[in-house]
Amino acid sequence: MSSPRRVAVVGAGLAAVSTCDALRAQGYDGELVLYCDERGLPYDRPPLSKDVLLGKSGRDDILLRPEQWYEGQRVGLRDGTPVRAIRPRESGIELADGSVVGADRVVLATGGTPRTLPVPGGDDPAVRVLRTWEDAERLRERLLPDARVTVVGAGLIGAETAAVAVALGCRVTLVDPVPVPLAAVVGEGVARALHSRHTAEGIEVITSGVERVERPAAGEVLVHLAGGSRVVAADTVVVGIGIRPATGLAEAAGLRVDNGVVVHAGQRTSHPNVFAVGDVARLDGHRVRHEHWEAAQQGGEAAASGILGRPLQQAGAPWFWSDRHGSRLEAVGTMADAERTAVRGAPDSGAFTVFGLRGDRLVAAAAIDRARDIKAARRLVDRGVAVDPARLADEGVDLRTLLKR
Amino acid sequence: MSITHTGIRVAAVGDIEDGEALKVPAEITGHGDAIAVFHDGGVYYALDDTCSHGQASLADGWIEDGEVECPLHSARFCLSSGRPLCMPATVTVRAHRVEVRDGWIWVHPALDSAEEAGG
Repeated sequence: MSSPRRVAVVGAGLAAVSTCDALRAQGYDGELVLYCDERGLPYDRPPLSKDVLLGKSGRDDILLRPEQWYEGQRVGLRDGTPVRAIRPRESGIELADGSVVGADRVVLATGGTPRTLPVPGGDDPAVRVLRTWEDAERLRERLLPDARVTVVGAGLIGAETAAVAVALGCRVTLVDPVPVPLAAVVGEGVARALHSRHTAEGIEVITSGVERVERPAAGEVLVHLAGGSRVVAADTVVVGIGIRPATGLAEAAGLRVDNGVVVHAGQRTSHPNVFAVGDVARLDGHRVRHEHWEAAQQGGEAAASGILGRPLQQAGAPWFWSDRHGSRLEAVGTMADAERTAVRGAPDSGAFTVFGLRGDRLVAAAAIDRARDIKAARRLVDRGVAVDPARLADEGVDLRTLLKR
Repeated sequence: MSITHTGIRVAAVGDIEDGEALKVPAEITGHGDAIAVFHDGGVYYALDDTCSHGQASLADGWIEDGEVECPLHSARFCLSSGRPLCMPATVTVRAHRVEVRDGWIWVHPALDSAEEAGG
């Protein structure tokens, strides 16, 4: 296969920019163009449900890279330029205006679109989602003191949004059919501690599904809960129940798609000249798409290596964080993979860590407000160090010593 | 800690354990930010304490292999140059000269502003 000379990246999130960054860092000297639907410089998404909603950060504060970086790295930025089709067989991509641009490698970083409630009225535009800068801007304007805000979905985005809304003085209701959201990922103990904080901070938490959404009059939305148990009236409804991967371009091009664009090592899709990164990609053999910040960054690096035919770096265990009510959740790996656990710190204090072990290896950890435990845990997991659960639980043991062999 | 024309005497050798850092407050550094003094494998380094991405203290970071990893979003910085080694940080944090003299660790705050990472 010829070496790449024209790389087109479709999308403008972290995975897209990471791909560009890594391609240049690994010595790629050819043409590199980033195409995205939204206008403006690419930005980082985690702050959208935190400091942007709070009004603490503006768009300039959350840019992934400053404007001069694109010029310095010779990354062409075609913002406000949707891609209509990719044509890998013809080494090109087709833009919305019908023009075809040459590209001998295409990186799909198209992300996803927020899922809407699959119930009558669920697609009403009054039911808001939070994915883009514009979503956050519009939602922020609605989070006024005493506004009635109902958040459906108590996972990461929903929980963060509810926490911001209550901090801004809104009257918040949080609805989720799952009694203890996130339990499979972070374990029951940490998930319970997190979820109970909502109530403590003045949010009404309801365990229920949603049957339908009704908008009887402008300005009010009625959320009918499952079984006709209750109707919650709100000024603003926000739904955070995950995303649908934006696989349209991949499907139309005949790539293998199954809960995301299926990729192999080096982020390779079923077409040798097409790569996929970030939320839209699912690594073959993995049940889930790893829709987290670090996974997007590492995917970009892996795609660059794949495009340039360079050796791949070993990816570490998945890691993510979530901020709510002034506390930080961090998790490594998936607690469901663990056979037994060890607790470090005092759960009553609100700040503690649960380590999950399989045999004598650490496979997962989840912590509230204990950043250093997580940093140690990531290294213990990634390096496959044998650990004694009693020492993990012993606050007198400096976790760094467990890494030294 | 004491300040002289020869720099800021921040600690005695041995006071900062390997893998740990000491935060010198902005009132003492006199240049707008606190300075974090890191000990990594017998070598001392000093950087502006505040991560160039968020508002975290790098002195609370994870120190290993000549790098510090920010406690907040895991941006990593080179301890000797202050250059960011991965996202989300894109801007260099200012590095300061460290000297070990007479059993004490001295920091000489840099006067120039931090250079942009640039690319």
